[in-house]
Parts: sequence; structure tokens; C-alpha cells
Amino acid sequence: MNQTVDELIPEIREELIKQLNLEGMLPEGFDENTPLFGEGLGLDSIDSLELVVLLDRNYGIKLKDPKEGRHVFQNIRTMAEYVAKNRAHV
Amino acid sequence: MSQRVFITGFGIITSIGKNAEENLRSLIEGRCGYGPLEVLDSIHRQSVLACEIKMDEPQLCEAAGVRHSGGFTRTSLLGLIALHEAISSARLSVEDVKSSGLISATTTGGIREFEKYYHELMDPTLSGDFERFTDTATSGEHCERIADHVGIRKYLGTVSTACSSSANAMMHGAQLIKNNKLPRVICGGSEALSKFTVNGFNTLMILDSEHCRPFDSTRNGLNLGEGAAYIVLESEDSVAQSRKNPIAELKGYGNANDAFHQTASSPDGAGAIMAMKLALDSGQVQPSDIDYINAHGTATENNDLSEGLGIKRLFGDSIPYFSSTKPYTGHTLAAAGSVEAAFCLLALRKGMIWPNLNYKNVMPELGIEPVTQLKRGISLKNVLSNSFGFGGNTSSLLLASV
Amino acid sequence: MAEATKYFINGVGIISPQKTYDPNVFLTDITRYDQNVLTCIAPDFKAYINPIQMRRLSRMLRIGLSAATICLRNSRISIPDGIITATGYGFLEETAKFLQEILVQGERQLTPTYFMQSTSNALAGLVALTIKCMGYNNTYASRGFAFENALTDAMMQLNENASANILIGSYDEAAEVQYKASIRAHHFKTEYVNNLSLFNTNTRGSIQGEGSAFFMLSGKPSESTWGILDDIHQVYRPEQGALSSELEIFLRKNDVTNKSIDLIISGASGDSQHDAVLNALINTFFDDLPQARFKHLSGEYCTATAFAVWLGASILKRQQVPEVVVVDTAKIARRPGTILIVNHYMGKSFTYILLKRI
Repeated sequence: MNQTVDELIPEIREELIKQLNLEGMLPEGFDENTPLFGEGLGLDSIDSLELVVLLDRNYGIKLKDPKEGRHVFQNIRTMAEYVAKNRAHV
Repeated sequence: MSQRVFITGFGIITSIGKNAEENLRSLIEGRCGYGPLEVLDSIHRQSVLACEIKMDEPQLCEAAGVRHSGGFTRTSLLGLIALHEAISSARLSVEDVKSSGLISATTTGGIREFEKYYHELMDPTLSGDFERFTDTATSGEHCERIADHVGIRKYLGTVSTACSSSANAMMHGAQLIKNNKLPRVICGGSEALSKFTVNGFNTLMILDSEHCRPFDSTRNGLNLGEGAAYIVLESEDSVAQSRKNPIAELKGYGNANDAFHQTASSPDGAGAIMAMKLALDSGQVQPSDIDYINAHGTATENNDLSEGLGIKRLFGDSIPYFSSTKPYTGHTLAAAGSVEAAFCLLALRKGMIWPNLNYKNVMPELGIEPVTQLKRGISLKNVLSNSFGFGGNTSSLLLASV
Repeated sequence: MAEATKYFINGVGIISPQKTYDPNVFLTDITRYDQNVLTCIAPDFKAYINPIQMRRLSRMLRIGLSAATICLRNSRISIPDGIITATGYGFLEETAKFLQEILVQGERQLTPTYFMQSTSNALAGLVALTIKCMGYNNTYASRGFAFENALTDAMMQLNENASANILIGSYDEAAEVQYKASIRAHHFKTEYVNNLSLFNTNTRGSIQGEGSAFFMLSGKPSESTWGILDDIHQVYRPEQGALSSELEIFLRKNDVTNKSIDLIISGASGDSQHDAVLNALINTFFDDLPQARFKHLSGEYCTATAFAVWLGASILKRQQVPEVVVVDTAKIARRPGTILIVNHYMGKSFTYILLKRI
């Protein structure tokens, strides 16, 4: 089960909406390159903790250092790339 | 409103000692309670080290003088041990105790027993020994339980403002005295370690897997702890009537809210400054009058920066001695405010300043350094004790020698 | 700064098992419950909370934040000088969710939001954060005395500064875990009763309620003043005769007699044994006074006195006593000017609160 980045993008997008209760809240033009934090979607540090849990639950990836998340959670594409590279193969 | 608020006694139990004397010895000898969890059952036993009190339920029951089957939660037992010591240290008679108020703080109350017997309690078809913990999950239960045991009826209150809880309990007690509502209020807090808190803080990713290093540039989170401490506050009139020599005065206090984030402190320490400033103003002292600050100093990246900047901005060029005692006891959450107030009382009594253990590297954003070695022979007049918490709560107590 | 001599209720916001969220409506449309658990009739939260903020908030945080917002709007204050909340149960629903994850998932992959929203001060922090209120902030979690502590605290804050505005709020939710614990502890009835006939039952236990009520308290009156909070007193586990003697002291201290009181709001809960104590006290002191009850509308919970204060304040403001709360309609005669709330929680925590018309 080796999904490519392009296959992961819609999946992560869906999971993210579910985990962070973002249904119906995505701004116009939101895509995999829109920044998740700050000016983009405007997520906060609690969301980033929820995303850590998402990676663990769905892909078996454990982020040990919260600072690592800053790079991984830039946008959906960076998340997909990180997952493709680091997911636990079962 | 002119009543001064005196402190006539206190009691304390933490991972570094089960009474004031033992805590004092550990503070002087630099002995910490940090280590693997042995009493609490958790998968994180070896990975999340904490400052645990190495006593199980029967041992705590014995120390607290209660029967095993009584349904006392660990929080209540720790509280009762510290409360007994506070009562005897202030030499309160049975009548004194009866006419006192009790303001106790906790964040998780009886969650430890609730999590242990959850399945049994939730299944109405089951019965058994676990039923003594039927209604002990709420925060307020511990306060009623220990009040019932020692015979306090006059006024009860439970404060729950996360990690600033017991500092706010002391404030509420002080105001009851200032408003002539009560002659005497015993204030403090109790907190037992639980899977709930260990896992809660773990999900927030603010636990250090090593021994915590407050105010160090390499700090990487906090260590949890458990404990209880109670401080006996008495009015001027009450002290005069009983011809007691108070051990200190609760001279001022401040409570504010950072209003910045649900769980994080503002980067500029706005709430910390407000709380400390209110404490100074209400005690009518100047920043230059402060001889020592027992900092909240949890060793999270966020708290120490925010608090440190707050201290810098308020005290400018003349920063008082400051240290965090969290490496000794861990973060005892709701009990931290009264535990550290007790450490301040010991500092005032002994003329000592407790070192900020594990500190090596200055934080470049701060450029100020805590006390790292035990200081003796210091004349202490006014000390501040800071306690901050989730929800933006910031509190500061001003304790003064008499 | 001047000391407060009176404490004015300058705004209210309440969400309860009755349709109370609109401050302009007063118990005209009563909801009946048949299964012993009364839950909040909530407004459309979107009117009070922005969607981005709302997406993560638990049900009770939504209810609490909405009640606080209704109160702020009602009192026309955007940022008060302090926020004090009170709860007996705390956020037990979120606590249980996190606990279940711990137990079911073996302490792995836990949801941080549940943990963060489980702390008792989450609501006071949320309100402060939402309106950027950096002032005094406290939370009491004292079971049957939490709201009483909060009121006492607010009054003491106003004693330091009469012109301050203190937002005080209560919240308690009918969480399943709490309900099960209460059933085990015999606090609630095991036979189903209809809430509107709660006082016709003659069995032990009450029925589960919930709610969140906020009040703006100030040392100064305003255009929107509802009434005056005169004094409050708590009695814990009274010894023989103490309920009466403490009530006597309370009345004397506040310079009221049973002749100057117009209405008693009784905190009778439907528990035959506990209510007997309360009724005996009320009958001894105020036998010929009109009486109102409210726990058939709110259900029983730790901070139910907040519902009573809202009821009292509403009666004072509107000069009208809704029939649904009246015990004996023949007795409602006088214009309500002074109201005494006499509450008990589980027959252990007793409260006296004195309210007056402005």
C-alpha cells in the first residue's frame, strides 16, 4: 500500500476536515498549497496538536517534537509528502 | 476592609517530603522527587518520569489517620495529611477549626479513582468495594470530605483555575478575612497524579522526557508532580485574641487573565505583569522592595519566556533573586500555588533562597539568570510567588515577614 | 475607589431546560420532560459564537459562551472588569470522553481538545479570551456551593471597587457519567416522573437538570438593572437547630423580618426526605408567605441556585410571578419587593439569598 503524494492529498484533505471540524468552513480557493496556519486557513496551535494525532492514528507516524510539526503542517501537500516518506509500512 | 491577613501555620506533602520539616531538608540538600512512576499504573511509567509521592493508598490512609474503606481519594488523603499538619502547626483548637473556613483547590479531584473504577462504576449491575468512590469524581468532593473529617463547617469553597488554583484559593480566603466574613480560613490545594493528567499533558506535548530545566535555553517541557499544601490565614483580631506570633503576612495578591490563548501564555507576559503588579500595589510595596520571586517556572518553552519577560519588564534593571522550585517537586498543578507559598514561608523563616536546579544556559531572549545555588543568610522581607495556568489565569501572592 | 453598599444585577443571560435564552420572554412556554433528565433548550449558537471558534467547542462550552454573551448584551457591557464562573460537576462530558479514550485505546492517540476542555476553568478562560478581558478571573467548583462562592467573591470584588462590573456565571451539564453516579448514590429518582408533577411525588431523590446562567453584578445601578442582590449565606451540614439560628442571624443582619419578605423561592428538589427539612424551616419562619418553586423546571444540579437567582431577578423586574412556579395561588397578594431564596443541595448544602427590587 504505497500511495503517492497525489493520491494522499484528497485523503488527507478529507481527514483534516473531519478531525478539525472544518466542514463548510474552507475558504474559497482552498487547495493543497494554501497555508494551514496564519494568513491561510488560520488554524492554531491546538489544531496542530490534533494534526499530530491524525498522523499517528491514520498513518502510524509519531511526531516527537512539536517543532517538527511547523514544517510538516505548512499545507496539505507538505503533509502528504511527509506521510509518503515516513508512513509506517504494515 | 482594614484587616491585615496573617499566616499562623501551614502543612505540606510533596514528593520531597511528607511534612514541612522533610520538605525543608530536601530543599536544602537539593533532593528531588523526580523518577519513574511506581505507584500510578500507566503505560508511560518509564517514559514520562514525574515527581510522585511514593506512598500507596494504605500508607496514605495511615498517615492521614483514616480507615482504608472510607472512600477517601488520593487527592483527599494528600489534602488531609497537609491539612492536619497545618492545623497543628497553627495550634488551632477544635473550636478554632470549627469556626474556620476551608478553601481548597484541585483540578482533577477524584479522577484517579474514577479512571481506575470507571467500568465498574458505569455498570449499574455491579456492586462491590469500588462503590466507596461512587460520587468522588467532582472537584468539590475532596473539600467536603476533608472538611467533614476535621470538622470544618463555617464556609467551604473549591477553586479550580488549573495551575493557579491554590493561589486563587488563598486570595479568596484573604478576602473573606478582609471583609470580616471569617476570622480564620485554611487555604490551599491538593492534586494527585492520574492517568488522566499524565496523558492529558502528554497530548499537549509539553512534558519533558528528562528532568525539567526551568529558565534554561534548552528547556523542553515540564515534569508533573503531586502534592498538597494548606496555609492558615488569620485576621489581625484573631491573632491578637489568641496571642499568637504569626509566621508571616499575606500582604498582597493579584489575579488577572492573559486573554491570549486557551493553553498558552502571551509572548510578552502581559498577564504575568498584571498579576505581579496587582500583588505589589495591593501590598503597597515597590518593585525594589521584592527580595525574591518564586517563579511559576514550569520549564515549558512558552511559560518561562513569557514569565521571564514579564519579570524583566516589571523589575527593569534590578531583577530580584528568582528561582523555580519545579525541578524538586514537579508541577503539582492545582497544589502548586500553596506548595510554593509554603516554600516561600520556609525561605522567609530560614533566610534561604532555594536554587533553580538543572539550570545551565541563559535564555538569549531574556539575559537574566535564576539563583542556581542555595543561598543562606539572606534577609528576606517581601517575596512573590507566581502561579499561572491554562485558560489564561495568572496569579501572584506577596508574602512578607513579620 | 468607593466601596459597594449594594450589589445590582445589571444583566442576565440564561440557558436552561426551559426556553429562557430570550431575556424578553418569561416562562410562557413550559417544556415537559418524562424521563427524569432535563436538558438545555439552546438557541441557535451562531447568533453568539463565530463559526471558526465554534467548531471545536463542546456542547456545554457553546451553551456557556452563549449565555455569557446574552448577559453581556443584556447589560450593554462589552468588557467587564472580572469574570467568575461556578460549576459543581465541571466539564464531566469532556472528561469522560478523554477518559474513555485512555481506557479504550490504552493511553494512545488521544484527542488533546477533550483534555483542554475538561478543566473547570475552560469557560471562564474562553469568555475572557473571546472578549479580551484581562481582569480578575476565577472559577469555583464546590458542588453545592460553587455559585454561592462566586457570588460572595463578586460582592467582595465590588467592596473594593463599587463601579466595577463583574460577570458571574454558572454551568453544570447533565452528563451521562454524572447521572449514573448520582443514581448509584441515590440522589435521583429511579421511577420515571413527569417534571411538572415533581412535587406530587413522595419518594426519595430528585431529577437531573442542567443549565448555564450569567449575571452582571455591579455596585452601581444601570438602565438595565433587574434587581438587587442584598446578601448571601451558606450553611453546610447544619447541626440540630443551626438552620433556624443561622437564618435568624441572616435576617437580622439584613434588617428584614418575615413581614417584610414578599416571596420565598424554595429550592425543594422533589426528594421527600430533604424537602421535609426545608419545608419545616420555611413553614416555621414564613408560614403565611407566598412561595415559589423552580426545580421542576430546571431539574436539580449543583449550581441550581443560579436558576433561582434568575427567577427572583425576573420576578422583581417584571413584577409578575408566573403561575407555573407558585405553590399556593391563593397567597400571591403583594407586589414582590423582597425575595428570599432558601435552597438545599442534596440536603447537605443550604443557601440563603436575599434579593430586593431596585
